[in-house]
Amino acid sequence: MLRQVKPRTARSKRALEKRAPKVNENPKTALFLRGTTCSQVTQDAMQDLYSLRQTHAKRFHKKNPVHPFEDASSLTFFSEKNDTSLILFGSSSKKRPHTITFCRTFDYKMLDMLEFYLDPETFRSIAQFKTKKVPVGTKPLMVFAGTAFESPVPNAFTTAKSMLIDFFRGEPSDKIDVEGLQYCVVVSADEPTSSSTDPSDPSTKPTLHLRAYLIRTKRSGQKLPRVEVEEHGPRMDFRLGRLQQPDADMLKAAMRKPKTNEERTKKNISMDSIGDKIGRIHMGKLDLSELQTRKMKGLKRSRDVVDEDFDDADMPMEGVKEVSDRIVGPRKKKARDVVEF
Amino acid sequence: MSDATTTTTTTKLPVTVDKPTPYTFDLGLLLANDPNPLLLDRSSALEPQLASIARDGCQSLINQLLTACPISSTPAGVLLSLPPPQTPLPREKPVPTPKAETKWSQFAKRRGIKPKTREQRRNLQYDETTGEFGRKWGYKGANKAGEDAPIIEVKKSQEEKRMAEGKSVRGDKRREIRERVKRNERKMRANERRESGRKK
Repeated sequence: MLRQVKPRTARSKRALEKRAPKVNENPKTALFLRGTTCSQVTQDAMQDLYSLRQTHAKRFHKKNPVHPFEDASSLTFFSEKNDTSLILFGSSSKKRPHTITFCRTFDYKMLDMLEFYLDPETFRSIAQFKTKKVPVGTKPLMVFAGTAFESPVPNAFTTAKSMLIDFFRGEPSDKIDVEGLQYCVVVSADEPTSSSTDPSDPSTKPTLHLRAYLIRTKRSGQKLPRVEVEEHGPRMDFRLGRLQQPDADMLKAAMRKPKTNEERTKKNISMDSIGDKIGRIHMGKLDLSELQTRKMKGLKRSRDVVDEDFDDADMPMEGVKEVSDRIVGPRKKKARDVVEF
Repeated sequence: MSDATTTTTTTKLPVTVDKPTPYTFDLGLLLANDPNPLLLDRSSALEPQLASIARDGCQSLINQLLTACPISSTPAGVLLSLPPPQTPLPREKPVPTPKAETKWSQFAKRRGIKPKTREQRRNLQYDETTGEFGRKWGYKGANKAGEDAPIIEVKKSQEEKRMAEGKSVRGDKRREIRERVKRNERKMRANERRESGRKK
């Protein structure tokens, strides 16, 4: 672990502030490094990915005796030293030839790792395509095709998708120039072959085709343009290897959304077509036992007691009238008037 | 793709994409998901098939971008306003925790005391006796006024107390300031202790 130092100069303070946790984060920086053995094909592939990722990428040229799935501490150290949270580690061995290990860190600790085995036969670098090249820092469109990416439970393919989105997303922005929609990264996953009997055998797993295309738009005579594509490179075919899933607690912390200052939309308030505000309110349950109904003499509670205490002068109505009072409540007053006359 | 390119330019080029399952989009990331199964024909060449999938994906994504996003024309170019991204991606660092309140800031909030303005914090004030602006503190600061006057009036009882402690009236103000600084440091440490306790 690095020392936690208090900045002594304004410059180092700025540097520390730059890498401090923020609500709106900086774009992730990718670190490209290689193991002690790394085939030329893998190195070329890494070079191409590096050039697509430029301005938010760092590259190491020396060999590193690291085996990410055995001990990732060196990678997290590099991540902390260089403030890079995406790591691409290239290596090649007899058992796992032409491997690029994608690693992501959270808070300088390893979040998840996934191996991409590159197919050396079909690999073509950017330089092998004689097309116009996109400028550095262009945001690509991304297309993920295939049912493998749609799995509801996290697996190697959804992780690969998440990692590739993270890798290609570029600088976050709310506005984009239409001219900037220049190229497109398409990742398509083969259908899993049903004939595969041994699921652990990597050759039976569906292949991932990573392609980058230039986008050409043509007038179609309609409002929307007709899109044509031209391969830009690199062309990479991967099979997915070992996967280290993220720790549940760490993933939860990493997926946390910071509170925003934006006001939350208030529920149950709407505007009608005239522009009047309409609200739906909750009243709670009405207590009907306490309901004040029309007061009627005949319904007095202590009728019998009153009868005994007072003499007849107070009670001008006779028995019959009382009954009628009880029956026709609203007419009570009228009936009484009649009696007084 | 191939059949579309071979059609003559006089007919309208198709711009719609028909797929059994519709695409899903995350326009904030310029992302399209094509959930249709990838039916590749192993007998024919792979690349044209992949290119046709890519073309369809790009076409529908661009259609969606141009129809769903508000477009504004500026001198810098035609800009598309993108919605915020929807796809959850892990952060690289934890969400920062808000700084804990100090005892003073709690009190100030309760009493409605506003922080001093820039003008109030300025080390400059108008001295009415001389009619000039002078410092409030520091070198030739107003808080040091009368410190090195040749003659200082003292109270007898206090002077005796000082004599007993072996101090003089000369360094009195200085000592007072030192004490206040130490007091403030004590308070700062207490606030830090409280904050570290809160985290656990």
